[in-house]
Amino acid sequence: MDIEQKQAEIIDQLVKRASTCKPEALGPLIIEATSHPSLFAFSEILALPTVAQLQGTTDSVYLDVLRLFAHGTWGDYKCNASRIPQLSPDQILKLKQLTVLTLAESNKVLPYDTLMVELDVTNVRQLEDFLINECMYAGIVRGKLDQLKRCFEVPFAAGRDLRPGQLGNMLDTLSNWLNTSENLLISIQDKIKWADSMSEMDKKHRKEAEEGVEEVKKSLSMKVSGTYDALGGLRASLFPTNYFM
Amino acid sequence: MAPSSSSGLTFKLHPLVMLNISDHFTRVKTQLSPPAASCATGNGSSNADATFLQNPRVYGCVIGLQRGRTVEIFNSFELLLDPTTDTLDRSFLEKKQELYKKVFPDFYVLGWYSTGSDATESDMHIHKALMDINESPVYVLLNPAINHAQKDLPVTIYESEFHVIDGVPQSIFVHTSYTIETVEAERISVDHVAHLKPSDGGSAATQLAAHLTGIHSAIKMLNSRIRVLYQYIVAMQKGDIPCDNALFRQVSSLLRSLPAAESEKFHENFLMEYNDKLLMSYLAMITNCTSNMNEVVDKFNTAYDKHSRRGGGRNVFM
Repeated sequence: MDIEQKQAEIIDQLVKRASTCKPEALGPLIIEATSHPSLFAFSEILALPTVAQLQGTTDSVYLDVLRLFAHGTWGDYKCNASRIPQLSPDQILKLKQLTVLTLAESNKVLPYDTLMVELDVTNVRQLEDFLINECMYAGIVRGKLDQLKRCFEVPFAAGRDLRPGQLGNMLDTLSNWLNTSENLLISIQDKIKWADSMSEMDKKHRKEAEEGVEEVKKSLSMKVSGTYDALGGLRASLFPTNYFM
Repeated sequence: MAPSSSSGLTFKLHPLVMLNISDHFTRVKTQLSPPAASCATGNGSSNADATFLQNPRVYGCVIGLQRGRTVEIFNSFELLLDPTTDTLDRSFLEKKQELYKKVFPDFYVLGWYSTGSDATESDMHIHKALMDINESPVYVLLNPAINHAQKDLPVTIYESEFHVIDGVPQSIFVHTSYTIETVEAERISVDHVAHLKPSDGGSAATQLAAHLTGIHSAIKMLNSRIRVLYQYIVAMQKGDIPCDNALFRQVSSLLRSLPAAESEKFHENFLMEYNDKLLMSYLAMITNCTSNMNEVVDKFNTAYDKHSRRGGGRNVFM
């Protein structure tokens, strides 16, 4: 998908720089990564051993910032504002975008009220502007804004970095999907067989009726001189059963 | 004879070209088929004739646009191969080219096509002959053999390049990759062709079966792709393959869009449509029954008419 392609180059560059530069320079690098307008994926940087070493040093706040951006939301930041250094406006914007992505994970229809609370936005106009300019034009979500019902329908949202437990869930969902489609295949095949067998039965029934008529016609043609009585009676007894098909 | 091309051109093929080529081949083959059937049991040299007639090679020209590094093949027309000189009929080609220029002034002759399973040496001569119209013509090859196991299209596009083989620079054919590009109108007609039902498929059961079979194969393809994804991610989880975070992100965004059609409104609409359809078929059956009943009554009347009153008035049943 396009977001991944756009991010792939940036991720590669940053990973290269992070693995070659000194630990002290990692802090500013992380700040730069989290402010970059098109970068929404941080697990590659998180996975680097040099970055993991920041834990426990004076720069571990940078690691926390990176973790916040990889898995957390704006709400998390507000709760932990004391531990994490002040974020620049770029970073704040990015964190809000990532918050929208997280919300889209659980529901496909996001009410405006929830969004306003989560993103600290007070009026609908600002919320819609934010959604349109920052999220949809950036390409991380695709959806429809429903002003009458005050909700935002999201059929597609880009993925965030995976938390360690989420992989299991993903596998479960995938296997459910597989099972459903396999069951569907089996039921379609059954339907096809049913349609064929019903048409076979229908043909057989028709053939039997035709054969019955033929037999009667033959036996009647023997008695050419037979009375109208016999003819009328026999025909009347046959036709009602043969024409209700 | 088929390393990959390095010219850096991107090729776009329109489905119209493939339909034209296969149509040309089918026409020629069916026109030749009566004699082929009779000499199919031949031996020796007549066997070679039989195989030739089973799969006659057809030739033609492809035209299209070249914009920068993108070559887009739009259309094609047939040409005759002159068996004596082994070259394509030049005067006809030029006449057709002029006619096409009037309708499509932007299109150039981009190359030529033929059918067969592989490019041969003699094709190189034809290729070189075309080089005076277009410095680097393309050669589109369609393989008419039906192979059910093959998933891709049996069309290969070759370009000619100069390679040094055994110290002698020769031009040989090299594969190029191509993509299929459609215009809206083409997509509709290709869809139509793909859904051709048998012409006497009047019975409802065969049409239903054909429709269901289409859906079945579509879901089967989806199923196999999901299975590949699933096994890949399981392998990543076990650690057999290094984790690819970008892939995880894409799969998670994909799974988030499931279930795609699970909401109150969808259920309502679906059940309403289902009920409407059932009602309609019920109505149709009832109408059918009443018309049959009407016929029975008429026949009964006629039958008992003759029986009760000879030459008299009508004895009405109802």
